Amino acid sequence: MSTSVGLVFFIGAIGLCVIGITGIVLSRHLFRMVLALAIAEAGANLLLILAGYRWDAVAPIFTGTAGGQAMVDPVPQAMVLTAIVIGVGVQALALSLVIRIKERYGTLDMQEARQCMQDDLDDAGGVTPSRSRERPAGERPIPAPTVLNSTGGQHD
Amino acid sequence: MRNLATLLFLGGLVFLLAAITGTLPFGHPPMLVGQAIQQAAKPEVGAANVVTAVVLGYRGLDTLGELAILFAAATAGGLVLGGVQAKGRNNALPAAGFVLRAGTDVLFPLLLIAGLYVVIHGHLTPGGGFQGGVILAAAFFLPLLARPSESLSHIWLSVIEGLAGTAFIALGLGALYNGDAFLTPLFDKGMFGELVSSGSLPLLYLAVGLKVGAELSSLLMRLAHDDGAAS
Amino acid sequence: MTDVSLAAVLPLLGAFVLPLTRHGILRPLGPVIGPILLAACALILFAAWSAYDVPYAVALGSFAPPMGITFYIDDLALLFALAVPLTTLVLWPGESDPAATGRQSLTLLLAGSLTGLALSGDLFNVYVFYELAAVASYGLVVGDGRSPAYVAAFRYLMISALGSVVGLIGIAIIYFKTGTLNLADLSTLSGELADPQGMAAFAMLVIGFGVKAEAFPVNGWVPEVYGAVGKRVAALLAGLASKLAVLVIVRILILVFPHDETRQLLLVLGILGVAVGELAAWQARDIPRMLAWSSIGQLGVVFVAFSLPGKAGVIAGVTVAMHHLVVKSALFLLADRWDRAIESLKGAASTSRIGAALFVLFSLSLLGLPPLPGFWSKFLVLGGLAASASPLQLLAMGTILAGTVIEGAYLLRVVVTFYARPDAAVRVPGQRAGNLLGAGLFALVLLTAAVMINPLWQGLEVLAERAVDTNGYQHTVLGDREAGR
Repeated sequence: MSTSVGLVFFIGAIGLCVIGITGIVLSRHLFRMVLALAIAEAGANLLLILAGYRWDAVAPIFTGTAGGQAMVDPVPQAMVLTAIVIGVGVQALALSLVIRIKERYGTLDMQEARQCMQDDLDDAGGVTPSRSRERPAGERPIPAPTVLNSTGGQHD
Repeated sequence: MRNLATLLFLGGLVFLLAAITGTLPFGHPPMLVGQAIQQAAKPEVGAANVVTAVVLGYRGLDTLGELAILFAAATAGGLVLGGVQAKGRNNALPAAGFVLRAGTDVLFPLLLIAGLYVVIHGHLTPGGGFQGGVILAAAFFLPLLARPSESLSHIWLSVIEGLAGTAFIALGLGALYNGDAFLTPLFDKGMFGELVSSGSLPLLYLAVGLKVGAELSSLLMRLAHDDGAAS
Repeated sequence: MTDVSLAAVLPLLGAFVLPLTRHGILRPLGPVIGPILLAACALILFAAWSAYDVPYAVALGSFAPPMGITFYIDDLALLFALAVPLTTLVLWPGESDPAATGRQSLTLLLAGSLTGLALSGDLFNVYVFYELAAVASYGLVVGDGRSPAYVAAFRYLMISALGSVVGLIGIAIIYFKTGTLNLADLSTLSGELADPQGMAAFAMLVIGFGVKAEAFPVNGWVPEVYGAVGKRVAALLAGLASKLAVLVIVRILILVFPHDETRQLLLVLGILGVAVGELAAWQARDIPRMLAWSSIGQLGVVFVAFSLPGKAGVIAGVTVAMHHLVVKSALFLLADRWDRAIESLKGAASTSRIGAALFVLFSLSLLGLPPLPGFWSKFLVLGGLAASASPLQLLAMGTILAGTVIEGAYLLRVVVTFYARPDAAVRVPGQRAGNLLGAGLFALVLLTAAVMINPLWQGLEVLAERAVDTNGYQHTVLGDREAGR
């Protein structure tokens, strides 16, 4: 029994990591990248929890009745608590950056956003761009003054 | 072509991670530190929930760092989204439907009580400052969904944030005054398993709960307000 | 005796309190809290250093070491820890616009976390402080609200978060295999981590902590971020934060993974960093991105230096790292007003004579002109490489020498532009007095180091001796209990 159940946990942890990392590396959509990050962090956290798991052991809480029963390792649980909170903070910040990028550059595509950023950096430094641009210099895509309802997702 | 590349990347990553983690001793951890803590937690910290003993006692500095990270994220979020009000985007969203509003009115006090309960009993039962703080943040976020035009006061939130963080550090510094190292638990251990026990741990968790609640509320509020309803 | 751990905690306290001063009667306190606390931290660390005799450990929470978190205080830790408040003070964001409180809070958080990185002796605690430094630096990057900074910060965040996930997996593997996180404890168990799994875990940690250290595969964010942010922040990140991340990797390397394979990994990453960084810096046509790429190249040299075995590696590494801290911070400070294309800075020397002169001084030290400390740092690295001279190390030597030539080409190009006849059409902005003062302070440090080579050398010998003494580390932290493992 033990190996098969252990295998399920491991496949879960590694699968989540792989899906998340693949999403971060290969996705171009900013919001999907944030979601992929959340998945990858979940995978890493699951792996960390597994590091402290023991067969036939109970949660590490002293209760009146269960005397002397083996308990799982409390340290990884505390670490995962920390890691989850860190992840939440980072994801919230990433989301707020996504909102701002959409507002400033009018795009949720990583490539386009990077292009705009490079152009802006070149302009700010007074460097003549080495490649042709699709837009004439000085004419940034002015963000449309629309309410960002259509992008959605921030409430989730 | 792109699909093929994705597939190759995925396969490679799975193989790599599986090869690395495949032979780890799952189910039989060495528990070098874990074992020691399980034995020492009861006399040294006095919290029935050993995870809490680790979070606030043995690894208290991690928790302080974690609070600081949430604080940094909230501050950075404020810097990113803070300019919204200045731009005067003041088109308030309409109030939500009856079900959500009535549900909010019913749930708000319940969530408040549940959150505080989870925070205060963190050293006895599963739960604690982080979990309870999230429930508190949810309690304060619900009214925001129901009545988007009203909002919490940023000033009060930042005051709670600041004071709770200061309280956590102050409790840690109190130990220095006694001649111990930073973050040594203060006060008497009390009766094991009682509500008032394990020294300063419940106070620390209360500070954590308030800080997490305030910070998550302010983060959620900023994100929500940027969605079109600046107060 | 004052507790050294205060140096990591006081900045956090200041950051928590700072927003309270935005309103009400505390308002006048706001601008001074940060500098006062940083100065206090510097004083605490000075006091600790003067009282310091042999390395010692502080068990936070008074819990016996392998269970609780420990701070380990030796010369290496104190040196890097002391650099944090001092550099932060010089680069303090003293503006007074509405967002300034936020930026100051974040700067304090960054300072606290970096001090923590220098002192901490616990793997997961290091991870937490590292994440704190990362989140604080995302905030600082977007702090002044320029549009490109948002994209740059998002990319930085994604790369960094990816690194964190990988690093966390590495920590999980190490915990799986050993069941402990204390570096001293791990050091006693380093035999168990000598297999391929352990190596993989180390590689993962290097990827994780290497993001801020601008290590080769995960440094794509560097030119964008340093190009898009205010240059004081760039100085803080490139000069200070990267060094503390390197210090963490080095501690883990020395204590837990003292193997040839892990050293070679650092060496290869370093060579790649030097090659990529210097070549790209040569291609760059504006000052900020040139400095950013050159900083990647310099950190490559740092990695190469620390990959040398034994004392020689630590001495060379610390010298290169500290030299780069001073020089790159100062160069970014000078680039604060000159953050534009190189050709548009023709005749900058006539607008700000001192600024241009300081730029020349730092450039020459970066290149390694003999009396300046930069020469000694490069000399130590090359000497160390020549001493063991395996093919890989000869390759590293060649790369560093070639890198120096390229460095000379692009730095001298800038200097020549500065001293060219001014272009009537383009007006070069003058330097801000505060930046000049900061750069002047860094120059003072540099010149003092050049004069005091001898005592510094002796200090470094002792420092390196203690830094590589893993048995001493284990004994100091764990007491006698490690015997028998």
